[in-house]
Amino acid sequence: MARDWQPDFEQLVDEHQSMVFSLAWRMTGDRGLAEEIAQDVFIELDRHLRRMESPSHALFWLRRVAMSRAADAMRRRRVRGLDLWVEIEESHGVQAEERSSPLGSRLEGLLATLPEPHRAALVLRYQEDLTPEEIAATLDTPLATVKSHLQRGLKLLRAKAASRLKEYIRGT
Amino acid sequence: MGPEAMDEMERELRQALERRPAPPSLKLRLMERRRREQAQRQHSRMVLWQRLAASLTLAAALGGVLAWRSARERRRGEEARQQVLTALRITTRALNEMESQLAARNRDAQE
Repeated sequence: MARDWQPDFEQLVDEHQSMVFSLAWRMTGDRGLAEEIAQDVFIELDRHLRRMESPSHALFWLRRVAMSRAADAMRRRRVRGLDLWVEIEESHGVQAEERSSPLGSRLEGLLATLPEPHRAALVLRYQEDLTPEEIAATLDTPLATVKSHLQRGLKLLRAKAASRLKEYIRGT
Repeated sequence: MGPEAMDEMERELRQALERRPAPPSLKLRLMERRRREQAQRQHSRMVLWQRLAASLTLAAALGGVLAWRSARERRRGEEARQQVLTALRITTRALNEMESQLAARNRDAQE
C-alpha cells in the first residue's frame, strides 16, 4: 500500500525533542541521562524511519521507546546502586526560562518520590495529556492497571502534598 | 478527598508537568552522532561486502584447486589403466607366442 507521508528525520527531531527529553528527564530525574536517552531514542528512530507510517505513529513510537529506554536506564542505575532523582530540583545547567514555578518544582519533586509505574502513568497523563487507553497502549500495560496506577498515584501525591506543601492543605 | 480538591490537584499537576524545552545542543549533538553512526554503518557495510567478495574469491579459488586436483587424479588413473592394459596385451601376446612354440615343439617330438 502506497504511503503519502514521508518521514523527515530532522523535522521529527524538531517537533518531538522536547517531548522525548521531558519524558526521559521526568522519569529519571537526571538531565544528562535524559539527554543521552533522547539521543538514543532518536538514533533508534533513524534506524526504523522507513517503518513509520504516519506522524501519529511516529509520535506513539517515540513516546513508547522513550518510556522504555528511561525504564531501562533506571533499572541499570538501580542495579549499580545509584540513586536517581538527585538533580530534579537543582537548577544546575538549566536556563532560567526552563525552570518551572516553585510550586511546580515541588510538585515535580514529590512526583519523583512516587513508585516508577505510578510516575510513568501520571507523566503520560499530565505532561502528554494522554487518555488511560493511550497510556495503556504506550506502556503495553492492561487498562485496569493504568487506571489503578493513575488513581493510586494521584492519591499518593495528594497525601504527600498535604503533608509537605502548605499550598495543598486547603481542600483537604 | 473531594472531587474539587482533586481537580485543583490535577490542574496544578498539568501545569507543573508542562514539557521542558530540550537543550539547544541536543539536536546538534544528535545530528553529529547520526552522521557518525551513518558513516560507521556505511563503513561496516563496505567491510561486509569486501569480506563477502574475499570469501567468494577464496571459495572459487579453493573450488578451482579441488577441481584441478580431481581432474589430475582422474587423468593419472586413466594413464595407469592404459599402462596396465598395455602390459596385459604384451603379456597375452608373449604367452600366445610361447604356447605356439610349445605346440610346434610337441608336434616335432611326436613326428
